[in-house]
Amino acid sequence: MSLAPAQLFPEFVANALGLPGIAGEIVGALIAAFLVGNVMLTFTGVAGPWAKRKITAAFTDRIAVNRIGPFGLLIIPAAAVQLLAKELIIPEGADRPSYDLAPIVLPASALLGFAVIPMGNLGPINVQLADPEVGFALVFAFASIASISLVMAGYASNNKYSLLGGLRAVAQNLAYEIPLIVTAMSVVVFAGTLQTSGIVAAQQEALVTLGGITIPSWYAFVNPFAFLLFLTANMAEIGRNPFDIPEAPTEIVAGYQTEYSSAYFVLFYLGEFLHIFLGGAILTMAFLGGASGPGPESIGFVWFVVKIWAFFLFTQWCRAAMPRFRIDQLIEVGWKGMLVLSFANLVLTAVLVGVTV
Amino acid sequence: MNDWIAIGALAVVGLAIPLGMMAVSALLRPSVPEQGKRTVYESGEVPTGTARIRFNIQYYMVALLFLVFDIETVLLFPWVTIYRPALEQGVPLLDVLWPMLTFVGILAVGLVWAWRNGAVQWTSSPRATARKTERETES
Repeated sequence: MSLAPAQLFPEFVANALGLPGIAGEIVGALIAAFLVGNVMLTFTGVAGPWAKRKITAAFTDRIAVNRIGPFGLLIIPAAAVQLLAKELIIPEGADRPSYDLAPIVLPASALLGFAVIPMGNLGPINVQLADPEVGFALVFAFASIASISLVMAGYASNNKYSLLGGLRAVAQNLAYEIPLIVTAMSVVVFAGTLQTSGIVAAQQEALVTLGGITIPSWYAFVNPFAFLLFLTANMAEIGRNPFDIPEAPTEIVAGYQTEYSSAYFVLFYLGEFLHIFLGGAILTMAFLGGASGPGPESIGFVWFVVKIWAFFLFTQWCRAAMPRFRIDQLIEVGWKGMLVLSFANLVLTAVLVGVTV
Repeated sequence: MNDWIAIGALAVVGLAIPLGMMAVSALLRPSVPEQGKRTVYESGEVPTGTARIRFNIQYYMVALLFLVFDIETVLLFPWVTIYRPALEQGVPLLDVLWPMLTFVGILAVGLVWAWRNGAVQWTSSPRATARKTERETES
């Protein structure tokens, strides 16, 4: 399946500024990347200090932040200044280069994942930074760099809780990475391409029309079983309930981030929220039709934002409603359940596609 | 437009944002060095030893298993990518299907072997098992 080469965001910026050649490409790419990075940063800024509290409060019948600004929204800058102005306390015996690098790697890996996500159109702009032919494999490669950061943090802190948290994070990411990618492959079997824009484009045809309402062939409707598997594995990859074992507050204090304070702590928090949004973006791209929705194509970006925030809301709902797995249960669910089911899904999907094509 | 320039640009931005936040924080934050607060947290007790400790062997077992299956996913990616285009060009279904089925089948045998040998069963130390049995016999 080959697609008409759409003008991507960096090219749009370069043309708008009238910059030709390789210099124009680099400047356009940097500006576009800066804008995309800051949009994601804004999302995490809204999600972390404000939306998360408000949502949890709504689930537990409380009010939460409401003192500063309308709906307590000004808590966001207040929390940012407060957290950044905290003293940085480095624990005794910390393994220095590793201790300092871990909080840089986590948000960077999450941000890098957004490079290949097609975020739809915003007016005349096609908000997608890059569209390489291997995009769909690349996004998983970028997202899984996060595990390295968690091990670095856990090991370097010289704290037993941190070490356990880091180990748990690795065991969990390893166990659920395979089901995640194998389930994602069943999407590639349908789409026949690894290009992210191609995967989204393949989901735009109508599946069925029921009573005048056309249901698009989003892979969540075409293959709901794969959707559920992917959703579960995704929750484990980003470490949200019921899979928040790496930082289980009632068991190992705060896991790998126990000994982190000040800007380092902010960066871990930021990185985790970026990973939630990246998880939502991958889910949106692979199963929920990308940036498509009712209305003209030029507001696709709005639908993309709605979908990733819906995923964020879902993670917070699980946080309020679900108990946590134990580590032994986690390993068994992952290796004995999810792995087998994901391979069964891949083989069945391949056979079904083979019979119908 | 080169895709990899854009990805590289996002990598630069992705590193600049954390570094920038660290720099801003370094300008804002106080520094009151004191030995007491650098002690690692161990539920308020005086910490015993370092964190370079022996831990459950199971973490190695799942890492070993992961290596096998991760390489499998890497080798399956080309197959899933050409699967549909190959069918659309008229290659018979079984010809495209059997390499994957054989490959996944061999790995499934491997998983069954690991499963039967307890590699995916969380091991608990003999001491923990003994304590659990004691508790059960007491009650």
